[in-house]
Amino acid sequence: MKTAVLIAVMVFADATGDVLLTRGMKQVGEVSTIRPRALLSIARKVVTNRSFISGILFFAMTFFSFLTVLSWADLSFVFPATSLVYVVSTLGARFILKETVSLQRWAGILMVCLGVALVSLP
Amino acid sequence: MKTYAILALAVLAQAIGNVCLSRGMKEFSSANSMFALFSQAVGSPAVWIGTALLLLFFLLFAAALSWADLSFVVPAISIEVVVNVAFAQYFLKEPVSSVRWLGVLLISIGVILVLRTGKETMKSRIEGEKTGGPFG
Repeated sequence: MKTAVLIAVMVFADATGDVLLTRGMKQVGEVSTIRPRALLSIARKVVTNRSFISGILFFAMTFFSFLTVLSWADLSFVFPATSLVYVVSTLGARFILKETVSLQRWAGILMVCLGVALVSLP
Repeated sequence: MKTYAILALAVLAQAIGNVCLSRGMKEFSSANSMFALFSQAVGSPAVWIGTALLLLFFLLFAAALSWADLSFVVPAISIEVVVNVAFAQYFLKEPVSSVRWLGVLLISIGVILVLRTGKETMKSRIEGEKTGGPFG
């Protein structure tokens, strides 16, 4: 039971973090250089981007829940179970952002759910 | 090509990192509170190495997202589920049944179906900044 709760926390925090991180990095722009000075200026833009910072906080929450679950549960179960993040993202896209979700995407969601169900069998 | 090389490195760092974290955290399975758990975990080299590797994964993933769409990057690394379970089986000696492997395979294919929609990728490529990934 506590495994299920922590995995749910992980999945919701991860989905939120993904959206915020993508938005943040798109605002910063393409990282197309390896020159130290240019990288430094990009890094400055990244660490002051609000979306990026919030994304990091959600990933931190994901990370600490992950560590906690790993102290008793198998990695070969916990890691695949985190794929439920795609199910949450798609449901969010469909019902919160009112996006159209293709049939192919629903099929993928179904496969992920079925896969996680199989993975969670003892 | 650059993207695939970066993402392959990212997945490798992630899988090795997760193995380190799992091995590290299992030593504290008897901790009876989250505070006790984390105050023990900060002293574990395995946990620190695992964290550093996951940070590396995160940096590579974030860099890739700066030029590629989430709808390209995520399907490209959907193999991560297979790699992580294989590493857990090999390095952590976790028993992985054939039913669990079937589940892992379904998840990988499912993730590809969820995000890899050629049309969407092209569209967001052209519109660029405006769409900012599949979630708007």
